[in-house]
Amino acid sequence: MSVKAFELVPAVERDLLMGDKARINIECIECCGKHLYVGTNDCFVHHFLLEERTTPKGKLAFCAQKLLHKCLGLKKPVNELKAASALERLIVLCDSTVTVVDMVNLEAVSSGGARIKGVASFCVNENPVNGDPFCVELGVIATKRRTVQIYMVYEDRVQLVKEVSTPEQPCAVCLDGYFLCLALSTQYMILNYNTGASQDLFPYDSEEKKPIVKRIGREEFLLAAPGGLGMFATADGVSQRAPVNWSESVIGAAVCFPYVVALDEGFVTVHSMLDQQLKQTLSFRDGHILQDFEGKVVLASTKAVYVLVPLPLERQIQDLLAGHRVEEALTLAEGARRNIPKDKFQIMHRRILQQAGFIQFGQLQFLEAKEHFRKGQLDVRELISLYPLLLPSSSSFTRCHPPLHEFADLNHLAQGDQEKVRRCKLFLVSYLREARSTEVANGCREDVDTALLKLYAEADHESLLDLLASENACLLADSAPWLEKHHKYFALGLLYRYNGQDDAALQLWVKVVNGDLQDSTRSDLYEYVVDFLSFCPNLDLVWKYAEWALQKDQKVGVQIFTRRTVSDDQAGQMNPDSIIKYLHKYQQATLLYLEHLVLERRVQKEKLHTHLAVLYLDRVLGLLSQSPSPAQEVAEAREQLQKLLKESNLYRVQLLLGKLQDTELLLERATLHGKLEEHDKALHILVHQLKDFPAAEGYCLWASASRDEEHRRRLFHLLLGVYLDPDAPGDERTVAAVDLLNRHAGAFDAAQVLRLLPEGWSLQLLRPFLSGALRGAMHARRTSQVALGLARAENLLLKHDRLKYRGGPVFVSEKKGCQLCHNTFTEPDCVCLPGGVPVHTHCAAQRARDSPRKRPSANPSNHT
Amino acid sequence: MKGKFDIDVVADSTITKRRVQRATMPDYAKMKKPDVKLVILGDMNVGKTSLLHRYTERKFKDTISTVGGAFFLKQWGPYNISIWDTAGREQFHGLGSLYCRGAAAVILTYDVTNWQSLAELEDRFLSLTDTANSDCIFAIVGNKADLTDPRALVEEEGEEEKEVVPQLSSSPTGPPKFRKQVLREDAMAFYSRILRYKLLDEATSLPAESMCFETSAKTGYNVDLLFETLFNMVLPSILKKESQSCSPTVDLEECREVKRTKAGCCT
Repeated sequence: MSVKAFELVPAVERDLLMGDKARINIECIECCGKHLYVGTNDCFVHHFLLEERTTPKGKLAFCAQKLLHKCLGLKKPVNELKAASALERLIVLCDSTVTVVDMVNLEAVSSGGARIKGVASFCVNENPVNGDPFCVELGVIATKRRTVQIYMVYEDRVQLVKEVSTPEQPCAVCLDGYFLCLALSTQYMILNYNTGASQDLFPYDSEEKKPIVKRIGREEFLLAAPGGLGMFATADGVSQRAPVNWSESVIGAAVCFPYVVALDEGFVTVHSMLDQQLKQTLSFRDGHILQDFEGKVVLASTKAVYVLVPLPLERQIQDLLAGHRVEEALTLAEGARRNIPKDKFQIMHRRILQQAGFIQFGQLQFLEAKEHFRKGQLDVRELISLYPLLLPSSSSFTRCHPPLHEFADLNHLAQGDQEKVRRCKLFLVSYLREARSTEVANGCREDVDTALLKLYAEADHESLLDLLASENACLLADSAPWLEKHHKYFALGLLYRYNGQDDAALQLWVKVVNGDLQDSTRSDLYEYVVDFLSFCPNLDLVWKYAEWALQKDQKVGVQIFTRRTVSDDQAGQMNPDSIIKYLHKYQQATLLYLEHLVLERRVQKEKLHTHLAVLYLDRVLGLLSQSPSPAQEVAEAREQLQKLLKESNLYRVQLLLGKLQDTELLLERATLHGKLEEHDKALHILVHQLKDFPAAEGYCLWASASRDEEHRRRLFHLLLGVYLDPDAPGDERTVAAVDLLNRHAGAFDAAQVLRLLPEGWSLQLLRPFLSGALRGAMHARRTSQVALGLARAENLLLKHDRLKYRGGPVFVSEKKGCQLCHNTFTEPDCVCLPGGVPVHTHCAAQRARDSPRKRPSANPSNHT
Repeated sequence: MKGKFDIDVVADSTITKRRVQRATMPDYAKMKKPDVKLVILGDMNVGKTSLLHRYTERKFKDTISTVGGAFFLKQWGPYNISIWDTAGREQFHGLGSLYCRGAAAVILTYDVTNWQSLAELEDRFLSLTDTANSDCIFAIVGNKADLTDPRALVEEEGEEEKEVVPQLSSSPTGPPKFRKQVLREDAMAFYSRILRYKLLDEATSLPAESMCFETSAKTGYNVDLLFETLFNMVLPSILKKESQSCSPTVDLEECREVKRTKAGCCT
């Protein structure tokens, strides 16, 4: 339970006060600075000087020096003492009379004036309404029934200011501003003596138990309530704090922030005002008086005086933390916020928050711990350093001293519990991840990132790669051995790469691909390396590893070259020629690279096109030479070859034609002949050798594509001629000829065709051709007639315009002005604007220049 | 140590009306100042502390009789609402009006298995609310609904450790172990009598249907509903108070961005 908030220190021992006189008791005390006044029941006032000193053991002790004791001469007990230090006066209540005596010599001042008679009890207003510093306000309960009086006490006189009556007899009073807080016989109440307004607080039987009324702050009072409660009430009659729970026999109460100290028959109890909990209990018999004076809590039995010395706040907080009472420690610290200079408080508060965080961390209360670390702005390395080996060996970090926690390291904390270790590590991962994104990590990014890397690697965490692929500050020297230890070679490669050591990265990856090292992070590491090489700006590296990549798989390996961006490789070693030269060992790769150049990038170079065509051809021939030749593949290969042959105009036709001689690749040969404009040869092959009439027809269309109509016609006639070749008659070719004519009627010159056709063909057979030809001729005729008519009409219109513009004569004289410049004409040359307005030639030219968009509608005609 | 008693999380605070802090002593207030006050009243053993505990801690645990009172500060949107848990014992009855002073809402709690607990509300506790705000909202809450109402029995009816004074139960059959002594209609009738007592017009006041709750602190039945309904109902009262308290003093502690003050004279 307890915090040690106070220490009980003896101040004035019995022998200094009454010696062995058993009947003499302490009645009241007053403490003002170092001055302690004690009133006794034999009408004496004792004056001590209380010196604080520290014993050799480091304990605080008081040394009381008796300055004076004086009998007031009334043989009655001294009931109350109050010092008014500004006036150097002591206000004494004895025998129902308040007198004012000198603080130093305890002599009464000016016998008559400074005296109030008929006083049961009084209090001093600690929040005075009068601005005069040399004046003390007193609230006085008169022995006269149901009256409270307000007095002003000056150096040598007292003055009654106000008298208010109360509904019942008051028995205790406290004054704050205009507010009187009164304990009446059956209840407590607040009374504003200025306005007369009153506010009942709660019932209390003052006869049964002695009431306590204690001002604890501005317009707030602490009252003894039924059931041994200490109730807080404001001048408005509201309670803003939960009550504290005293015992039924409470005698007195005092406040020493943030604690409420109460005295009962056997104990001194200490409650916190911040959380209302009991914090400390001190055994104290025969307690008689408990009062606070300017923050000093003084306790008296009937025979001796003690001081309750508060322990330093920091010490209390540390005690609480040592007992793992985090919330209480924080409450206490925050409660003291206003009593400590801001910067000092912040430092202390931060440290407490950090300690609190570590306590909760130790209890695996990560959520709370994180919050406290965050609020306490914990140096994240404090946390990392708990985990063995996580901080880089190069880190300059040393733990804060005195230590924030009691743990040597994580193993110490977990005591061998692996589940605990695992959870702590998970927490650190999440904590570091968050720290990275905030400024918390500033100044120690390397430590944070390296620690995170190690955690990821150890836990086989997928974010390891994200960390390495993004901006990071992982220390290579420290991380590399760790990654190797956990077989994270791919990740290590990434780290090398991030640190500009691409060669090291590649070496490592190659080893993994080759199976020399085991790391299953990426099953497609080979493709990754190829991809990497295709982007790698370091050409030496590319050449170094290209060999390996191509040997592994030409098809994939060639991507090193095909995926490279075009711009940067033309100049240096990465030009296509040197690549092709390099690739010559790898036929497939060469082919793929050439395809890339020719088909994708459309590089217009004879050499490349020829090379590709030859490679295609070789492949086809190679496939054909197999037995049995794979039909599907042959077909595909030939299609590629044919496509290239047809579409490219750059390859060396003769070379290929030479290679094609004596092969069965007739279609390709036909195409090559076509490229050479040897259409008769091509068609001959198609018709006679291949007997592929659709191909022949397609050839004509292909060979005439992007050429004029005439060329096409020539080709079709040529084909027709081949079909109708009288030297090699054949029925199928006749049919093909008829089909050709009927299908492409428009492509032929009908008259010429008719001359060619054999006599015996029926009209019916050629009907589609003939009607198409006729319709075409008719269409052409009518179209030209329409065109002629339109041309005539246009001509007529132009003539009409011309005549119109000629119009009548235009008069120019020396008196007539130009419409544009308004000068007269001096020469006969002029320009006539539409409408017959004569202007100077230079004016017209000027106008034409100024409005370029508005071109002169017609050629201006000169008039002389 | 002596007399440990259950106090819910307690934060201290200064008064609801903001005042000039011309401190002669240190200001003990924490940074949070409650904007509005809710008070839970009711006879002993009806479950006031348990209700608050269920709401704040999300669990039900055995509590011992509250001594004096306790309070809890709830952050509701930008506002701080203080909820006072009072002691039901006769001994502390006198403190009730002190707690109720300036309250914006009062939760009158009874035990559905105990007719007397409702009667006590009317006899003893209603008069305590005289010190509450004039526009104070009243909620009538029948706790321990889990004992009588199967709907409130979300949890397994396990150990029976409730400090219920077992009433002579004559319930014939059925799972409920206790006869429901107070029907919702009774509570609603009581609500109407409160309005009459307060001289409020039933037509313009909040309807009884929405102000009578049956809850179970044990299972959590309707507990959130109760508190959150009330929080939302007292918001207008906060706004009203803010608009009234345009004091001439600049409160340097005031850091709330939306400050509703009355417009100056010249606008």
